[in-house]
Amino acid sequence: MNIKTVRLLLIVLTFINFTVFANPSNSTPAELNIELNLKQQLGEYHPPYVASWIENSQGNPVRTLLLWREKAKWLKDIRRWWRKVGKKDAEFVDGITSATRAAGKYPLNFLAQDDRNTTLKKGQYTLFIEVVRENGGRSIIRQPFTLNGEKETFTLAATHETDEMSFSVSPR
Amino acid sequence: MNLKKIIALTIACAISTQTFAHSRWVLPTHFNLSAEQGEWIMVDITASNETFNVDKAMGADLVRIITPDGKSSRPSSTYKGHRKSVADYFLAESGTYKITNNSHPSYMTSYTMNGDRKRLSANKAELSGQLPNEAKEIKTTYRYSRIESYVTMNTPSDNFKTDGQLLELIPVTHPSDIAENEKVTFKFLFNGKAQKDVSVEITADGARYRNNPQTLTLVSNEKGEINFMPKAAGRYLLIAEHQENTPKSPLADQQMGSVFLTFEAQLN
Repeated sequence: MNIKTVRLLLIVLTFINFTVFANPSNSTPAELNIELNLKQQLGEYHPPYVASWIENSQGNPVRTLLLWREKAKWLKDIRRWWRKVGKKDAEFVDGITSATRAAGKYPLNFLAQDDRNTTLKKGQYTLFIEVVRENGGRSIIRQPFTLNGEKETFTLAATHETDEMSFSVSPR
Repeated sequence: MNLKKIIALTIACAISTQTFAHSRWVLPTHFNLSAEQGEWIMVDITASNETFNVDKAMGADLVRIITPDGKSSRPSSTYKGHRKSVADYFLAESGTYKITNNSHPSYMTSYTMNGDRKRLSANKAELSGQLPNEAKEIKTTYRYSRIESYVTMNTPSDNFKTDGQLLELIPVTHPSDIAENEKVTFKFLFNGKAQKDVSVEITADGARYRNNPQTLTLVSNEKGEINFMPKAAGRYLLIAEHQENTPKSPLADQQMGSVFLTFEAQLN
């Protein structure tokens, strides 16, 4: 093997390495930005229970982004999240729990990873935000999005429990 | 078979269905619970053709709760009123509980006399001396009804043990996973084997406030399964019946099993 061949080989190897690292499914996860906006309500007010999570195209949950809750007794009222995620793993629920928050805007950001911090594969997903208030109502927001290396921005229409919110997917 | 015979048979079937289709149900306060220290539930027990308004109290003596570990337990207390019985029960451990109010298997002989339909609690061997000479259209049925529901606290479990007696329902879709606009599959066994052609009726809660009860009528397929999709979240009563002639039995002309299952479709 002469010097020229080695050089060529090195160049080829470098290129291969580069493509491997540039593959978004193995490396840098996209950033997910949600501006959560819990609606001001009139009358008796309990801060809502909120869960936000991602389901894949088969409707299987891949990542719970947040859980704002009170006592275990009320977890079942976050209906879809409890049915799909919460009831299956008590330790996991404890691990992601945080306290409820009053009405207002909450800018949040997450990485497009699953519950084990593995970067989500390219494909179709749905963001869910479920908001339930004691003595109040329930709203569930579904926003399909795609992980394909391109930026996407969505406006999430106001519901009974939320004001207009924004959601964006930004590859890094 | 000529047309007259077919019509007669159809009428006979219709009559026997009407005779048996007395709705009975158990209605738990909750179907899905989250709790760290256990939770109480209460269960209404009634015989009523109006889903889910109570009518006639059935006793709660036969109520059994099969715990997630498969043990049979009883309510901690019960009360019998004129329209319903109520049972109180504490769910101590996580998992799926099966609530049953099954009758004991029994023989019932029906006959007509002067055009009226009458019944006797007797099998064929016990009939002599009990049956009036004018009795016509005598038919003895061996029957067993299961009145059941499932309640899940925290993580669901499969609490679907069968005993092979007449009609049984196995939830292929776990009761705690049933949701509006999602497919549900239930499977029927008759004497322990997958049974096709089981007649099934499913009615949503609130029948009193609808002109049309909107009952969904289904028949099980070759695998003994039914598939359906609840259109709205809420509570549903499923009534399934199946009967077969038993020409070899000295005690009964036919055997008949029924299942009354109360379930919840959750918001999606």
